[in-house]
Amino acid sequence: MNKSYPHINGKLHLTGSSRFIADEIPLPEMLYTKFLFSPVAHANIMELDTSESITIPGVEKVVTASDIPGINQIGLVIQDEPLFPEKEIMYMGQPLAMVLATSEKIAEAAVKLIHLKYEELPPIFEIDEADEKGEWYIPEKKIECGDVQKALSEADFTLQGITETPTQEHFYLETQRCRAIPGEDRQIILYTATQSTMEVQEVVSRLLNLPANRIIVEVPRLGGAFGGKERGATIWAAMAALGCFLTHKPVQVLLEREEDMRSTGKRHPFQGRWKVGFDAKGKIEALDIELLSNGGAYADLSIAILERAMFHADNAYFIPNVRIRGRACRTNLPPNTAFRGFGAPQAIFILESILDEIAKKLELDPIKLRQINAYRSGDITPYEQKVIECNLPDILERLAFNSNYDQLKEEIEKYNDEHRNSKQGLSIIPVKFGISFTTTHLNQASALLWIYIDGTASLTTSAVEMGQEVSTKCATVVSKVLGIPLENIRVESSNSQRVGNASPTAASTGTDLNGNASRNAAEKIRVRLLPLAQSMLKNQGIDGNMEKICFKDGTVFSSDSPETKIEFKDLIRQAYLSRIPLGANGYYSTPGISFDWNIGRGSPFQYFVFGAALAQVQIDLLTGEHQVLKVFIVHETGISLNEAIDLGQIEGAFIQCYGWCTCEDLPRDTTGHYLAINPSTYKIPTIRDLPSKIQIEMIPSGSKYASIFGSKAIGEPPFIYGLTVWFAIQNAIHSVKPDAILKFPATRESILLALN
Amino acid sequence: MENHNANDLIKSLQRIYYFNKITFWLNGELITAEIPPAQTTLEFLHNNQHLYGTKCSCNEGDCGACTVVIAQVKEGNIVYEAINSCLYTAAKLHGKHLITIEGLGTLEQLHPIQQVMLENHSLQCGYCSPGFVMSLFALLANISHPDEEEILSALEGNLCRCSSYQSILRAAKELSENFTFNDIVPAWCRDIEKQLFSFKDASKLIEKSGNLFYPCTHYFIPQKLSELTDILANTPESVFIAGGTDLMVRMNVQKEEMPVLIDLSELQELKQITYTSRGIVIGAVVTYSDILHSGIIKTDLLSLYELVEKIASKQIRNFATLAGNIANASPIGDTLPLLSVLDASLTLFSSTGIRELPLRDFFLDYRKTRLNYQELIKEIVIPLPTQDAFIRTYKATKRKAVDISAVVSAVKIETESGKIKEAKLAFGGVATIPKLSHKFSELLIGKPSEEINPIEIAEIVSAEFNPISDVRGSKEYRQILIRNQVLNYLQEYVQGDTNE
Repeated sequence: MNKSYPHINGKLHLTGSSRFIADEIPLPEMLYTKFLFSPVAHANIMELDTSESITIPGVEKVVTASDIPGINQIGLVIQDEPLFPEKEIMYMGQPLAMVLATSEKIAEAAVKLIHLKYEELPPIFEIDEADEKGEWYIPEKKIECGDVQKALSEADFTLQGITETPTQEHFYLETQRCRAIPGEDRQIILYTATQSTMEVQEVVSRLLNLPANRIIVEVPRLGGAFGGKERGATIWAAMAALGCFLTHKPVQVLLEREEDMRSTGKRHPFQGRWKVGFDAKGKIEALDIELLSNGGAYADLSIAILERAMFHADNAYFIPNVRIRGRACRTNLPPNTAFRGFGAPQAIFILESILDEIAKKLELDPIKLRQINAYRSGDITPYEQKVIECNLPDILERLAFNSNYDQLKEEIEKYNDEHRNSKQGLSIIPVKFGISFTTTHLNQASALLWIYIDGTASLTTSAVEMGQEVSTKCATVVSKVLGIPLENIRVESSNSQRVGNASPTAASTGTDLNGNASRNAAEKIRVRLLPLAQSMLKNQGIDGNMEKICFKDGTVFSSDSPETKIEFKDLIRQAYLSRIPLGANGYYSTPGISFDWNIGRGSPFQYFVFGAALAQVQIDLLTGEHQVLKVFIVHETGISLNEAIDLGQIEGAFIQCYGWCTCEDLPRDTTGHYLAINPSTYKIPTIRDLPSKIQIEMIPSGSKYASIFGSKAIGEPPFIYGLTVWFAIQNAIHSVKPDAILKFPATRESILLALN
Repeated sequence: MENHNANDLIKSLQRIYYFNKITFWLNGELITAEIPPAQTTLEFLHNNQHLYGTKCSCNEGDCGACTVVIAQVKEGNIVYEAINSCLYTAAKLHGKHLITIEGLGTLEQLHPIQQVMLENHSLQCGYCSPGFVMSLFALLANISHPDEEEILSALEGNLCRCSSYQSILRAAKELSENFTFNDIVPAWCRDIEKQLFSFKDASKLIEKSGNLFYPCTHYFIPQKLSELTDILANTPESVFIAGGTDLMVRMNVQKEEMPVLIDLSELQELKQITYTSRGIVIGAVVTYSDILHSGIIKTDLLSLYELVEKIASKQIRNFATLAGNIANASPIGDTLPLLSVLDASLTLFSSTGIRELPLRDFFLDYRKTRLNYQELIKEIVIPLPTQDAFIRTYKATKRKAVDISAVVSAVKIETESGKIKEAKLAFGGVATIPKLSHKFSELLIGKPSEEINPIEIAEIVSAEFNPISDVRGSKEYRQILIRNQVLNYLQEYVQGDTNE
């Protein structure tokens, strides 16, 4: 099972020869683009005068809303977002006009000669104000079970509060980009850095008033995305496509880092307003929670993100009486968008804050409190999905064992007693992460597989490769079904002509959906090859049953006599001569999922991923510095398709969340301007931020509901583990100042302000 | 020139430019290239050579995706240094060997670094991978078996947002254990080392014009101060550039124009670190890495050594200069508080002669200094502190490494016969210029250490300053930092004292 087959594109990447869009030779006659970005967050455009800018030699065209041939609309779920605003500017950094020129420098200079007059309107930036004014994209959503009011009034204890989570910048190393090239018959070929080829095709087709079959979307790979290119890439692809349509020349859109950070949406800030009821043992009886998100200027994916947040408002705990109400609020910030976890980390942070309050109130051990409340198999979620194959109690026990929990706690207490200016703290967080797009129809994928005459294979799937190694995993699946050595399988770029109507590669579902589609394609070919294989083996004296024929290591044999083999490539040549089709289209849709928002009931997830983490940190009370001393993670992977990939996903997700929790501070001024729009001010973790010690145990689940070959999704669930660091820091602070309020992220500043 | 109307812009398209015609080695091959003024090495690789393995992610030296390695002769030795190609002007490459990802390994024959990273699954999306490979190459080409600290120091300037750091570290440790620099430096690099020693050609300026559009028209690289004097006489409007790690950010990101740049980094007279009767003299184009490699500094100015280790990233330290940090006059320049408490002074050079100025008198206001028209810092003079002087510095940042401080401070306390003889404390990030605390000296001088009340002094010193809020920290936070840094220093000083 190729447990740790290396990154399928590893050699390409490590030699700098892998292809990334726009990191390549300019095309003849290619035009470069620069944008006029809005200098204000909310305003009416009074005048947008481009006449001076177009007189500059080298400027081909200056494009504004009036040049759009189709509908000036790039919204998809909710159609509320223009490519260029015609009247109302909705956020700072919103593109208002685009210069197309023969060089970047000329385009840059020409942008300064576009004259904008505007009339400022009062902007809204905060959730509270937007909510008060009813600025929601859609009305409130609700999930409810039991009788919350009654349970709260009868509970031994109740607590209430408001908990907030801040934004986070994706900081994919490869900025947003697209190259558009004119083709014959009004075709436009878009080399786009997107997670969603279908969305780009659909939006551009509407924008340019061209049939979808004229819009070809091609994605070699992405230099990181993390959700930021699920919808975030569409606007830039649309810009390039429009420029190409208007000039009939290749057009390149390539954002500089500051342009990208200023103008693109980020992780949704959330606010949880909650009331919780529990008994003296800490068993939670009731939770009434409102989840409000800051969605920015346009709806983007805010509704789906709110939904996932609502589905994870219970995190890993069974609560009999729950009311979850969610409202996504419109503000004058760049439209916030998907980011690893998709609302779940925000909701889980809020719930874990509530648990910490309960633990404090009852002076309970944090792991005990979590054990008391953890889901068990057979429990029902607030939206009435049955929780099955739940091994949370075992996982928590395992975590306590691995970390030597009781001793660790004692050591920390001892350390804190002995040190005046340095304190330690710890925290534990379990996770139950729902796998499937909560938008049910997106749970489908296709794969196109060709076996060529020499026995090598070419595989295209709906998935976009962005470092999660869906390519390596899908190739592993094909290799397993057809016995083709991995080095003979090429996983191709994503391309709308080879695989159309592709769902975004998101929600951790890439391998589940596309691995299954690849398997389906490979199995179709296998079935077609079997009779021929049988007859070829018969020619060699093996009279085998078809069910006993094995495809392995580039050979085909009967399990009865494994020594007598035929070469896979000989089988393929013979199949071609025998006119057996060697290409297949695979398809997969996730079975058994549905949800009805009218009643707030259903089973939106195919399965859950379970796990838990513990972090021990040390803080310096004078400097506010912290060090993560130890991290223990127990994570259920199912039967991993590739342990090295899954380990990398867990380690990477942990650090990415750690950054959100500690150093990725993104302040904003009163005019709506993000102040940290480059890496000199916005600090993501470096190699120095690794924990001193991290131990990760991946446990197989033997799940019947797990996906391709028993594996489980890995992209997002481990992100939650990083939250332990924030809570451990808070725990350390509380050891000296029990009522201290720690802001998120826990920067040195937050820590010192909490202490003083 | 800023182009606020179309006519200005059209006129500037007809400007005359002077390209630098330079000769250097690129991945083992000697090439001659005409470099547009102030073009960066990264732009050169992309636009001129169509080599795209070196990636651009931030264009301001903060992510390391564009890391390349330069081999050159320094102090009679060949050194391999990783640099951020987005900030390193290509004209500086003259006579050096530029090694990029395209030079190391092929798909058929991976370089050992690439092979070990592949085996350790040290990559995800791959966008940062070439930069990591090059940083590791520079590390392992210079030293065999680096320890963990040396590995972290070499890699802290490379961001990986997929956060594959754990597996990169695993690979780095394996490389450190199993390979020596002889396995790492390919034969074709060794071949060129000899030629680097004997290289003597001079670079030239070539006139170009006609529909060109660059933010700079001249990029001079004088070799001697006398040559510099001649250039200054003929170019009234010019800006000096040493490493360029700040100035090139202004050009790349803030899009500032610098019509005439004079690169000082080849001035032979300014490359040395020497002992003199006045103290240690550091030439203006000595880089941070040169400081770290200097036996003089490590032995006699350990405080400076330890501070410089914490400044920026390896790639930046390899061409940024101490004098640049001073001339740049940022209120949070990392070295300025330390140099202030060490009583450093500056030797300033202009065509009319040289003059001396104490460093603390050098700063006038936010990014304003006493440098006159066409005057530059020639060298920094640091008197040797007494053997047992208590000297400490502290940087308060958001992130552990490669970060600009919210507050940076330095302290020097000298004790004589049980009493404090001299006490100096300076801060950056609390005012428009680096500031000395007057109260600190007042309260400490003449006192025996047992009479010091650290908390009381910390409160008084904190009240002496009135910092502002900005992206790096609030006023309130800075106020706490001032207090706590003083407290930290004094507690350590008092304890150290009583321990003796």
